[in-house]
Formats: sequence, C-alpha cells, structure tokens
Amino acid sequence: MSKASGFRPQILSFIILFVVSFATYSQEIPTDEAVISSGEALFKANCTQCHQVHKKVIGPALKGVTDRLETGYLLNWIRNSQKVIQGGDEYAVALYEEYNQVAMPSYPFSDDQILSLLAYVKAESANEPVQAAQPGAAAGGEVAAAGGDSIPSGYLTAILVVLVVVLLLILVVLVLIVSVLQRYLKEKKDLVEEDKEILDQKFDLLKLLKSDAVAGVVIFFFTAILLKTLIDGAFTIGVQQGYQPTQPIAFSHELHAGQYEIDCNYCHTGVRKAKSANIPSPNICMNCHSAIQNVGGEAGVSSEIAKIYAAVDYDPNTGQYGPDKKPIEWVRIHNLPDLAYFNHSQHVEVGGLECQTCHGPIEEMEVVYQYAPLTMGWCINCHRETEVNSKGNEYYSKLIELHEEHSKEPMVVEDIGGLECAKCHY
Amino acid sequence: MQKGVQIILLVVVAVVVASCTAGVDNPGLEYAPQMYHSTPYEPLSQVQDESMGTWLDSNPEDGHGEFYNSNPYNPYGMTMLEPVENTIKRGSLPNHIAKDDFETAAIELVNPLDSTKEVVAQGKALYERFCIHCHGSKGAGDGLVGQVFLGVTAYNSATVVDKPGGHIYHVITHGKGRMGSHASQLSEEERWKIVRYVQVLQKQ
Repeated sequence: MSKASGFRPQILSFIILFVVSFATYSQEIPTDEAVISSGEALFKANCTQCHQVHKKVIGPALKGVTDRLETGYLLNWIRNSQKVIQGGDEYAVALYEEYNQVAMPSYPFSDDQILSLLAYVKAESANEPVQAAQPGAAAGGEVAAAGGDSIPSGYLTAILVVLVVVLLLILVVLVLIVSVLQRYLKEKKDLVEEDKEILDQKFDLLKLLKSDAVAGVVIFFFTAILLKTLIDGAFTIGVQQGYQPTQPIAFSHELHAGQYEIDCNYCHTGVRKAKSANIPSPNICMNCHSAIQNVGGEAGVSSEIAKIYAAVDYDPNTGQYGPDKKPIEWVRIHNLPDLAYFNHSQHVEVGGLECQTCHGPIEEMEVVYQYAPLTMGWCINCHRETEVNSKGNEYYSKLIELHEEHSKEPMVVEDIGGLECAKCHY
Repeated sequence: MQKGVQIILLVVVAVVVASCTAGVDNPGLEYAPQMYHSTPYEPLSQVQDESMGTWLDSNPEDGHGEFYNSNPYNPYGMTMLEPVENTIKRGSLPNHIAKDDFETAAIELVNPLDSTKEVVAQGKALYERFCIHCHGSKGAGDGLVGQVFLGVTAYNSATVVDKPGGHIYHVITHGKGRMGSHASQLSEEERWKIVRYVQVLQKQ
C-alpha cells in the first residue's frame, strides 16, 4: 500500500510534464502521415549514418528528442550545431563532450523539412525498436549454407565403415555355409573318388606364403611403392606448396576479402603498380580499425586488433598515436627463389589475371597457404596456354597483326617471348 | 644379410626424401639454397637469425650465415623503412593547405582531369577497389564495411551534395571525421579520377 502511494506523485508529475510539454511544443510538429513519410525519406538519406531512433550510434539515440528539447532549439541545432555549442549552451557543450567532440555537420534544411524530420522521429519513438539484421551474421549464414551443398567428409567415412562391416558379415556367413556343407558331405558315404579328393584338400597357408610367386609379388609391390615415394619426395624438394605458417596476427582473408568483400588492391597497394603486391602497412589497417575494435560487434578491443594498436602505438580510448612504433613481423609464405624474377603489375594490370588464378580461393582462407606449386614447369605451362590480353592495349596491336599473318592460332604468351630464359632469369 | 642392409637403406632414404615436402609450418627442403636466398637486402623478406644457413656459408668473413638478411643499422633490423617525413614522391606536387582546411581546399584545388567518359570509367574502377566497401555502390554509405563502421556520409546527403571536387580530393588525401587518409594507397592522379566518379554519384 505504501509502495503504491509512493509511486503516485511520480506518475502524476510525469503525466503533467508530458501534457505540458505536449501542449507547449508538440503542436508545431505535424502528425500527418504524408509528412511523416517524407520525413522518413529525409532521415534515411541524411541522418542514419550517425543516428538511430532507439540506439546510440555515433550521435545520441533520438527517441523522445522532441519531448526533451524545444522545437526551436532543434531547428538551430540541425542548421548549425557548432554555433549552438560556441554560444556556450550548457546542454549542447555537455553533449559535444560526451560524444568525443565529433561535430554534427550543418544541414541547410527548411523549417518544413526539419519539422517533417521531427515528425518522423516522434512517430518512430512511439514504436518498438526493430531488431536490425546484422549484415555479418547474414553473410555468415550464407557461407554455412554454401558449405552444406557438398557431402561432408565425416559422412563419407561413416558410409565406408558401414560398407566394410557389411562385407565382413557376408564373408563370415559364406565361411559358415562352406563349413556346414563340408560337414554334411563328409557324413555321406556314397561319394565319388574325385569328389572325395576335393573334400579332403587342406588349405596350406604357410606353404602358399613361402612359394616363389607370392614372394615375387610382395617384393615387386614393396619396391614399386618405395620407388614411387622416393620419386614423389624428390619432386617436392624446393616446392613449398601447402606451406601455411602461423602469422603474428590471426588475420582472416575469409572475413575481410570474403565476407566483407574488400578488394585485394585496397590493402595490397603494389599489385597493379609494382613487382611486389606488398604487405599493407598498419596505417591501412587503421583506416577501418580505428573504429572497428572487435569482431562480431562485441564490446571492447579484440586481442588480435590490439596487436595492430600496439604496433602503431595507438590508444583506442583517446584515439591518439604515440611515438613507440614497432613492425608487425608477418611470415612470408610465397618464397619465390631469388634466381627467378616475377612482376605482379605485368600479370595483374597488363595481363588482367585474377589474384585467384595463382593464389587460389584466398577469399575462403582463414589462414593463407601457398596454393600454386610456383615451379618453373607451372609458370611455363601457363605461358604456353594463356592468350595475350591485348584488349585496349595498343602495345600489342602490331604484334597481333604480324602473328595473324603466319598463324591461325591465337597469340599466346609463348609467341611473344614468354619462354625466353632471360625474361625471368638474369 | 647384405640384401637386408640394402633394403633398410632404401627405406631410410625414402623416408628422408618424403620429409622434404612442405607442411603447415615447414617450408620444406630447398634445392640449391644459395640461389634461393637473396644476398642484397630484400624489402619483403627478412631473416634476423644470424645462424641461419651457416652450414653452407660461402662468405665466412661477414660473421653470419648464408640466409641472414637484415639491416643492422635500422631499428628491428628492418630492411624496409617508411619514407622520411616530408619526402615528396617523384612526379607529385604537394599543396600547402592544412589538413583540416577543407574550405580553402574546396576553392583552390582544381581537378586537372576533365570529366570525360574515360576518366569517369577509370574513376569508377578505382572507386570499386578503394571506396565501395564503405561508401557502397551508389555512394549511400551502405557498403558491407560501412554498415559496421558506421558514420559514413551519403554523397547525396544535404551537407555534402554541393561540395566541389577540391573538397573531395582533400578528404581522400587527409581523411575527415572517421575516415582515414588514403594518400598512401592512391596517387594524386588516381584521387582526381575518383573525384570525378564521386561527383557522378553526388548527383544521384
């Protein structure tokens, strides 16, 4: 009873406040459906980058802002927030400080436009917050669904095991049948002599194993397998295909290039301009990771992203860089021998090759491994088969003309000296 | 007995050769390693362990193994350094407008490239490599990364729809708000090409 009476004055004062505020300011904010929808369009085009109605984003959540502040005040704020802050308004300065001194840009809207915006915010404030679908989660789901198309290797093993068990059972049954039949026949007295011989035959395993034929077959297979291993092993000397070293930061190409579709060139800046594709310097990481501090929208700083901050001496709380930088020591995966020259820009910019042609499904790799063998035979094979990308490249037009005089085959890299030793070895 | 020894020897050789294959954390055995490893400093591969390759050292006087590749005069033995501050790249013409002075940039910086079909197409190709993941295909700030990064302004938003090319160029060069500088990734010419395509998107 006492509890209820304690609440009553609060509710009462709230209702009074609400009614008063409604009476004083809200009369100016339209409630017309058409105005609200035009306000919604305006809001989505201009405001959603920093504001949501029910959630704090970069700016404050706007729920009930029309009740918190006068319409006139909001008009001034939207048109020029810096002026309001510089005017020394206490509420404005506090808000500016609270949101890390990020200034809201000035919007040259008319009174009607701002009123329609406020009408939308007011209408939306009354609604329940809609659970926004996470783009990351949705994309993750697609990846999982795509993986379901092929039969997982676990199932294959299970099927094989079942098959083996069934075959063994059949074998046991057959052996049982044979022994039963033999016993039955032995009990019979009126057998022909020939049949008796067959029945009395003893299967001598030891004798069979000791025979020359079996020994010969075993030695042959043993030597063949040994030689095969030897030759295969010899061919892998100097081939680092499959090399997948642990990197100092657990950077996932699957997340960055696959799920978020960031172009390879954004980080590997040299790939169209230089010999090397380049390992991105941490300032490129920081273009996104100044704001994205954890994976999957979790709070706090992820331990892997903290390693970038340590390398560039960045304090995520203050947003300031210190002087104590240190390199991130990535482990090089593709170690082309020093005796061979390879140029990325020639292949990617001029030749128009996709990164995946040589690096494999990079956008699916959680940890990158060497996909191609990078042997000379592999290079040469591609130079023999690949047509020269002469589209929009006048450099090749005369060569193509000359080539077509003598040959009906398309001009491949081999035809323009792609197999010359000194192209790669000098 | 002789035969037995031979077979065992063969097995041992096979096992040794098979172990030359590269694995998850093992690059495998190299053929002619002296020709694999660079003697001059290599910018993108660095070997700091001085004992690496001592077993086939061709130059014992240098006091380290054949594979050692680090510059002892640089911090962390780095073989690659950042350009010295205020270095001007060849063919580049820096302006003296302050990082945050977008108003001056908007007036003074003029795009040297005309808005031809070719320039816009090249700008679009560059936009799709360097901008699209945050700003989205239509410049609405709704790229896959932009949705997580937040605070990406739409090009047709009232605050920026009228901004001239010089302003856009200055933003790409130095960054603005949450956006960082993209000067290390894009040459000046490439930035101006992107400006032309962004101006197309502004009008949408």
